[in-house]
Order: sequence, then structure tokens, then C-alpha cells
Amino acid sequence: MSKQSIIVTALTSFLLLSCSEQTQVPEPLQDGLIYCSEGNPESFNPQRVTSGTTVDATASQLYDRLIDYDAVQQSFVSALATDWQALDNGQRYRFHLRRNVTFHDTDYFTPSRYFNADDVVFSFRRWLDSDAPYHSVGGGFYPFFAATGLDQLISQVQKVDPYTVDIILTHPDSSFLANLATDFAIILSKEYADQLASNRQRELIDKRPIGTGPFKFVAFKKDYYIRYQRHESYWRQGPSIERLVFSITPNANKRMLKLVTGECDVIPYPLVSELKSLNRKEIEVRSEVSPNVSFWAFNTQRPPFDDPRVRQALSYAINREAIIDTIYYGNAELAESILPPTSWASSDAELKYHYNPEKARKMLREAGIPRGFKMDIWAIPVQRVYNPNARRMAELMQSDLAEVGVDARIISYEWNTFRRRLSRSEHDTVLIGWYADNADPDNFFRPLLSCAAVASGSNRANWCHNGFDQILYQAISTTDNAQRKQLYHSAQQLLMQQQPLLPIAHSMRYQAQREYVKGVELPPYGGISFRLAGKELPAQ
Amino acid sequence: MTRYLMTRLFYFFLALLVLSVVTFSLNWLFPGDPLTNMSGIRDGQAAYNATLESRAFDSTVIQQYVNYLAHITQFDWGLSLSTGNDVWQDAATYLVVSAELVLLSFALAVLIGLPLGMLAANYFRHNLDKFILTSAMTGYSIPVFWLAQLLILLFAVQIEWLPITGQINPLYAIDSITGSVIIDILLSDSQYKLAALQDALLHLVLPVLTLSSLPSMLLLRITRNQTIEVLQKPYVKAARARGLSQKRLLFKHALPNVLQDVLPQMTFIFGLMMANLVIVEHIFNWPGAGAWLLKAIIERDYPIIQMVLFTLMGLILVLNLLVEIYRGWRFPMTREERYGGY
Repeated sequence: MSKQSIIVTALTSFLLLSCSEQTQVPEPLQDGLIYCSEGNPESFNPQRVTSGTTVDATASQLYDRLIDYDAVQQSFVSALATDWQALDNGQRYRFHLRRNVTFHDTDYFTPSRYFNADDVVFSFRRWLDSDAPYHSVGGGFYPFFAATGLDQLISQVQKVDPYTVDIILTHPDSSFLANLATDFAIILSKEYADQLASNRQRELIDKRPIGTGPFKFVAFKKDYYIRYQRHESYWRQGPSIERLVFSITPNANKRMLKLVTGECDVIPYPLVSELKSLNRKEIEVRSEVSPNVSFWAFNTQRPPFDDPRVRQALSYAINREAIIDTIYYGNAELAESILPPTSWASSDAELKYHYNPEKARKMLREAGIPRGFKMDIWAIPVQRVYNPNARRMAELMQSDLAEVGVDARIISYEWNTFRRRLSRSEHDTVLIGWYADNADPDNFFRPLLSCAAVASGSNRANWCHNGFDQILYQAISTTDNAQRKQLYHSAQQLLMQQQPLLPIAHSMRYQAQREYVKGVELPPYGGISFRLAGKELPAQ
Repeated sequence: MTRYLMTRLFYFFLALLVLSVVTFSLNWLFPGDPLTNMSGIRDGQAAYNATLESRAFDSTVIQQYVNYLAHITQFDWGLSLSTGNDVWQDAATYLVVSAELVLLSFALAVLIGLPLGMLAANYFRHNLDKFILTSAMTGYSIPVFWLAQLLILLFAVQIEWLPITGQINPLYAIDSITGSVIIDILLSDSQYKLAALQDALLHLVLPVLTLSSLPSMLLLRITRNQTIEVLQKPYVKAARARGLSQKRLLFKHALPNVLQDVLPQMTFIFGLMMANLVIVEHIFNWPGAGAWLLKAIIERDYPIIQMVLFTLMGLILVLNLLVEIYRGWRFPMTREERYGGY
């Protein structure tokens, strides 16, 4: 036998050996789970970001909040705070903290004490107080807290005793608790921060994170993976898996392939129709109506869109059922209001703007719009949960509008340019949407349609209505849910009359997984959580 | 030989110098601040002024180029614009990752290409020759990215034998120390070394197969043509007339002469593999220099682009030099061809 043939034989037999011994699943694979996430996290601290990718990789895995929101019971439940009271007419909230909660013990930090009030005060001051030593670490921007006004609302965070904290508000606001239960209001370790500060390594706090969550951070390799290890002394029921890996896979096709080959156990944003056509019984596709809405906003500061009759007429001209079928493949619900039907404040109002080109044409003539009127539709250039294909949607609307004698032109820029020009109100109308961060209905109204939002640039309709603002303000000043529900109903009534925007769809959020994965549920709000994740591998 | 060696070395360093001029001028050709493109330090950062001085940006372009050369000879390629890490430090593992993939693919290409090429030549114009040649032509014509998709569909999706992305299942928690997954597994203190090794080898199959397809087919064709040519030389006929066995004839007499002409093609094949490396690494999520370069191009991370381009091209030049020196030493005729004397 020549040397070459020996090598060839050795190589082939080794490969064959590797292929044949697949019956036994090695231990590290049995108690580990791979989630193929869609991108790199920007940081390991959700306080500093709003991107869903970063929230997924951090909030529920590494950290805990004072309180959580239970979507099934639609109520707040205790987390790091065991209970809480509203005092001083809702201007002071007192939180009693859980005892014996441990922070992560890693090779870069060993905690010497349990979680206490100092950690809460430190975590809140990080984004609240611009004089706090850690405030400017990483740039000093805390977009979620700025957008919700939480940094203006909270005047002080006080330690009463080691296990009691008071949060004092400038005025009563019933959306306060909902904002505390979001993925952004997480608790960091003050002891770790002090250790970093004394080593002059402050910036590491968001790169090598320490929290109280169900997993601790092990390693991150940009573009490839994030590795986590189970937090063994977690204060409540933790996962049954020991290791968690986020395998970073931006390409949707590749995510699907990796799920099929078993290299991923769970994937977000699957290509639903293609996955279903593969028809594999070992793969489950799960969906959840998520709190989002896509809409068509009219720039109400530009004539003729300042006339409610024109906005109503254009709303009648759009065939939204067809849009749901062609753009969302039926995976969405026709929106009656900007508030999703899953919200406790949603009204069961009748759908008002049924597709009716006849009526639209008549109303347009009454409003004095000539045949052949020209307008622009701006369509977002990126895929979003609420709108998978805005350009195609705009094309459908273009032909609907041609039916009623309106000549629409579709405009799309690169995403950053698009947002910049949009906030300068250069548009006639725009196809865009909104994704809620918390369960409070206020999250759909104030950031989208209040007069303050016109100034901050997030009111895409540039619609400022004093009566409407009044209702919103009343609704957040009371904690009585029945009364709030009443107020939100009248707000929605007013919106339907004024029609500054046409709600189009509430789309579903999808996740696909191997059937043996248990306990990875799609949360209706916020990021994915692996707290209860487990695997039930078929018996060998 | 000395003269030959000196000339080769002279041309090698000349080529490197030209290459460095190209990467140096890229800093101006890329949009933005040339100093930032070169060092990865943005205007407004604390280190900007110091860098301005150390890179001689207050002086003439010639001086800047000299400083640039000084920096790159010390492997100082600046900081990455997207991560802020030192480019050369990051590069080490990426380059080893790619080296592992390239070496394995190259070995496979040689193992497939040489024997099959000689086999085909031995059966010149027989059916076996036609069959091998047709397969080689087909293999040669399939674009790498398409072949990769076909292999994935067949071996990963249809019969579920092989994984498609990465070096190893990340759950094995093998830390990347050298970059070469096989060496890393052997170095690690994991209790599941054997299982991990098996997993890593399975991960290697598809990328290696894909990357070696084109070079092996090329080698096959070159080897076949050269062997046919050599086998028709008078000395072979004479040897055959003296009753030498075909096997002895092929391996003892033809092969060394065939290699003499195949060897220079190796550098060309190596260059081709570098181009395909980017595609293969991207498709199979291989954490190597090719995928890193592609990512840097998308993110416009100029320090990384320069460094990877320079290194990959430099490697091709080094290989070229080594092959030429070897040929010059082993086959004195080469020297004579070029300079008409020893």
C-alpha cells in the first residue's frame, strides 16, 4: 500500500466513523439550548437601548425588574419587589424588596452581599441623575426613559431602609407601574459598579454584565455567538437547561435552514409560509398577537390633509382586507383602532371605514378634490414586525387610490434618511407603525398622537388636538381602571371621527422551534425569555 | 543560484512595497478622514492629536508613507472602526481559522487532483479518461456559491448528516485560543473532547469540500495535460522500450517532471482559493479572515480592510517566492531559462 492510499483510507474511515456514531446525543447538547438571534446586541444593558435585538439578549436573561407584568392575568406581579403601595395620592410609591437574592458569581466578579436597596437606588440613578458617576458611561443616552418621560416623572429615589425604597413622582401617573415592568427598568449591582470604579474600568459594566437574572454572561463573539450559563442560586424557578447560546444569524433563510438541520432550537422572525410548506412535524411555529399596529398617517399640517373630510374619504378608498391577505398572508388582524384588541382598554366599536370606493369618490368631490389629484405615499424601506413589506403595501394602495381618481406616488429613502426627513415633516402621508413597550394603553396614544409628540417628532400625523390631549391627560391622572377605560373609549371615538391616520393591521409575532423545546413562550410585551426553558429529548 | 535568489528576493520586496503603496493610498481613496481610515481613531477622540503626530500628518505625504511603513512593519494596523479593538490582535485568530480551512482544502485538492489527473493521462483517450475529464469540466464550471447551496440541500437538509454553520456546535463551549478548532479542542479542558472533535470534523466537511472543488479540478486538468505531454517525450519512449513497468515509468520518471510544471500553478490556485475563501466562509458562517473582510467591507471598517487585503496578498506573494526558490533550487533549468546561465 502506498503512502497516499494509507492517508486516503485513514481519512475516509475517520469521516465514516464521525458520521455513523450519531445515535447518542452528547451531554453538553442535551442540557443546552441554541437560540438563533437576528443580530448583535449593541450593549449588554437594556437601559441604554430600544432595539428589540438587544432587549432579547439581555433583559429577561441577565436581569430582573422590581415588578413584572403577567399578560395572562393582565396584572403586575412581584419580582425583586415583594409588594408595593401607592402613597400620597399616587405621588409616592413604596417598594418592599425581596431578601436573599444573589447576583451572578462569575470569574470577573464575586458578590459579597445580597441584593438590597442600594442596588435599586444605583440602577435608577444611572439613567435618572445626570450627576451620577455612571450616568455618562456609554454616552449618557437612555432613550426609553426619555421617550416615556419617566426621567421627568420621577423626582427622587430614596432608600428608606436596606429593604425598602421610595420612588417619588412629580405628579401622579397611572402608567408609572407599567413602565417599571418593562424590559428597560432592570436592576444592576452597585457592588460590581463600585469594584469597576475602583479599578478604573467603568465602561465594562455594560460589556461584562452582572445581574440577578436566570442566566449569567459567559462570552460574546461579535457576529457569532453569546454564551450564557445558568445562574444556580436564582431566587425563583429557573430553567432546566444549563447552557444557553445565542447564535447570531441575521439571514432569515439561513435561520430557517439551521432550524431544519437542528443547529438552532428556536428562531425568531421565521419565514412562516416557507417553513409551513416544508411540512416537517419536528418543527413548531408559534404565533402571538403582539401589541403593534401599522397605519397610514396623513400629514395634517399640509393641505388638503388638514381637512378631516379628505382623510375620511381616503380611508374609505383603501381595501384593507386585500392588504391583510397579500402583505401579511392573513397573519394579521384588521385594525379597527390603533389600540390592539388584546388591550384591556380596547373598545368593541364597529369597523367604520369599510372599503367603499363609491363613497370615497363622492366625499372627495364634496371636499373639493379634483380628479387626478397628486399625492405622495412614503413607505418605510425596512421590514418591521408590524409591516413586512411597506413598499408592496404602498403599491396596492396606489391602485386603490387610482380607482377614486387620486394619483399617488411612492417614495422611499434609505432608513436613516427616511426617518430624518420624516421628522422634518416633508411627507404628505406615510406608511409606518408602532410597537408597544408595555401593556398600558397610554403607550399607544401619547407617544403617537399627542401635541407633545408633534414637537418631539414622533407624531407622524403632526396632529395636535386640544380636546384629545385633555382626554389623555385625564386618563393618566387616575388609577381607576373603569374610568380610564371610559376615557380611552372616547379618545378612540374622537380619533375615528378625526381620522389623522388610518389603522391598517395588528400583525402576529412568530417564533419557530423544534418540538422538544419547552417553556420558551412568546411574550406579548418585550423580549423573549428563557427563564423556564427546557428540552424534552425523545428517549434514545 | 545566488544571483537567482537575489533577483527573486528583490522582486518580492518590490511587490510588497507596491502593495503597501496601494493600501496606503486607499486611505485617501476611501471616503472620510484619511487619518481615521488609517488608524481607526476618530476626530474628537482624546488620542486623535497624538496619532496625528505619530503618523506625521502635519508633514509631507512621503513622510506619512514612511511612518505608515514603520507602523505596519510593527503590525500596528490601527483600531477597528466598529469595535475599537486592535486590528492585528483580532486578526491573529481570524487568520488561523482561515489557514486551517485553506490548508485542509488544499491538501484535499492535491489528494484528488494529482492522482486522478495521472490516472486520466494513463488512460489517455480511453473511456475512463473521458469520464474523469467530463466530471472535472462539470465540477470546474459549477460556481462555488451554487455548489455550496447544493451540498447544503443534499447533505444537511435532505439526509441530515452534516451541520452547515460555524466551526463547532457552540454548546461545547470550546474557547477560541488559537483559532484552529482542532487545536483548540485538544488544548481545552472539556470532558467531551472526543465528541467535540467529532462535531468539529463534521462541521469541516462541507466547507472543505466546497473550497477544494475548484482547485482540485484545476489541478486534475493541469496534471493530466502535463502528464500526457511528458509521456510522449522520447526519454519515456526509450524507458518503455527498455521494459520499464508502466507504474515505475509514471511515478519515477514522469511524476517529477510533471510536478515541475504543476508547481508554479499552485500559487495561481492558491490565489483562486483566497477569492473563494470569502464566499465559502460567508456561506458557512466560518469565523475566518474572509468573512471578516466581507463584514468589514459592509461596515466600512477601513483599518480591517487594509490589513486583511495586505496580509492575504502578501501571503500569495510569499508562497510565490517560496515556489520559485524551490524550483530554482530543484530544477536548475528554470534558472537557465530565465537568465541563460547558472
